[in-house]
Amino acid sequence: MPGFDFSNHNRNLALHAQGVPLPKATSTGTTIVGCIYDGGVVIAADTRATSGPIVADKNCEKLHYIAPQIWCAGAGTAADTEFTTALISSNLELHALSTGRKPRVVTVMTMLKQHLFRYQGHIGAYLVVAGCDPTGNHLFTVHAHGSTDKLPYVTMGSGSLAAMSVFETQWKRDMNRDEAVKLCAEAIQAGIFNDLGSGSNVDVCVITPEKTHLLRNYITPNVREKKMRDYKFKRGTTAVLNEKIITKEEISKYVVVEDVPGEQAVGEKMEVDQ
Amino acid sequence: MALRIVPAAGHPAYTEAAIGAPSAPGVHDTLRANLSLTTPAPKAAGANAHATTASFHPLESRLSQWRAQQESLKMEMLRRQFGVAEPVKRQMELSIVRAGEWQPACLTGGFGGSAPGSGNLHADILSGRDCEIGWEDVFTGEEMRDQVDFHVEMETRFGMNW
Repeated sequence: MPGFDFSNHNRNLALHAQGVPLPKATSTGTTIVGCIYDGGVVIAADTRATSGPIVADKNCEKLHYIAPQIWCAGAGTAADTEFTTALISSNLELHALSTGRKPRVVTVMTMLKQHLFRYQGHIGAYLVVAGCDPTGNHLFTVHAHGSTDKLPYVTMGSGSLAAMSVFETQWKRDMNRDEAVKLCAEAIQAGIFNDLGSGSNVDVCVITPEKTHLLRNYITPNVREKKMRDYKFKRGTTAVLNEKIITKEEISKYVVVEDVPGEQAVGEKMEVDQ
Repeated sequence: MALRIVPAAGHPAYTEAAIGAPSAPGVHDTLRANLSLTTPAPKAAGANAHATTASFHPLESRLSQWRAQQESLKMEMLRRQFGVAEPVKRQMELSIVRAGEWQPACLTGGFGGSAPGSGNLHADILSGRDCEIGWEDVFTGEEMRDQVDFHVEMETRFGMNW
């Protein structure tokens, strides 16, 4: 069957009935916020990805591209937000090519809510949709079950209470760009410091009718400190018991030896202490 | 016919009391009833037949009936507004287009049908799916299947695989 595969569901039910514990649902923590200001809209997110009690990624990206002037911040299951926004982005591009107009933010919101409603919350994508189109600047939230909101400032995710407290105390009408960015960053920092599921850095995206600025790692309040001691040992700390040198010529009798020029072709280097 | 937007729940609302051994009413007859516990109970003839699903997951029957439900809703609304000629015309056009188009399997083709990945552009346009992409188009469920070569496909179509 195309699409989602349910073939293991009965097996899992049977296993569960026999006492095999089902895998625990991982609670995902995030703080995402959005705020409309005069002449544009700002969304911001933290950058921690958690899987249960473990921080899976310290600097992940939660601001997703939908269209040049429409961006989306995602909370909930990371894979679901990622794939859902990518799918809606593709759909929107096809729609824009078909109609020959710039995509509207309400179109994105409607596409998302119809899509998510069809899956009854089994796709765990909680999104903040923000963008500018010919009808103005818009900010929406979309919940995983398909309900939506339209508000001047929104927060979502496990840190939404901390972030909303900042908005409720400091938000005012007719802010300019700098005030809005500062307020959103403050709200995200409230989530970072008060919510265990959120952490690391602040990503901000400022959308105006002319241009979109993605400010990746706008504030980095959690820079890793240098360790007070290091555990590098001097060469020769461990005694050498015996030594045998095999030259390249010797080994090439048995296997083909090739030198790969340049640095080793590994994708991403592991993060290590300096 | 109701204007139903969302497919009905997959589980039956009632069960037939008649399923049982004819000689001993009320006793479960495995030979006549379910082959296994996972296959749904056989429907009485004429009852609204649900698509058979592989699992008891509530989402599966919903998803498998979703598109058919939307289609029937659309056709019912067309029938109410324009009379029965309009849905009949559309269904005829769709079936003509489905019967007449074929694309090789190696080009993500299939034979007729508006099933996702069937590559039937005309059917997609007529059913309003030409600028739409979904999970079914990405995960076709045939990733594990062997890709059929074009020549092999043509040979089987023309009975040349002696």
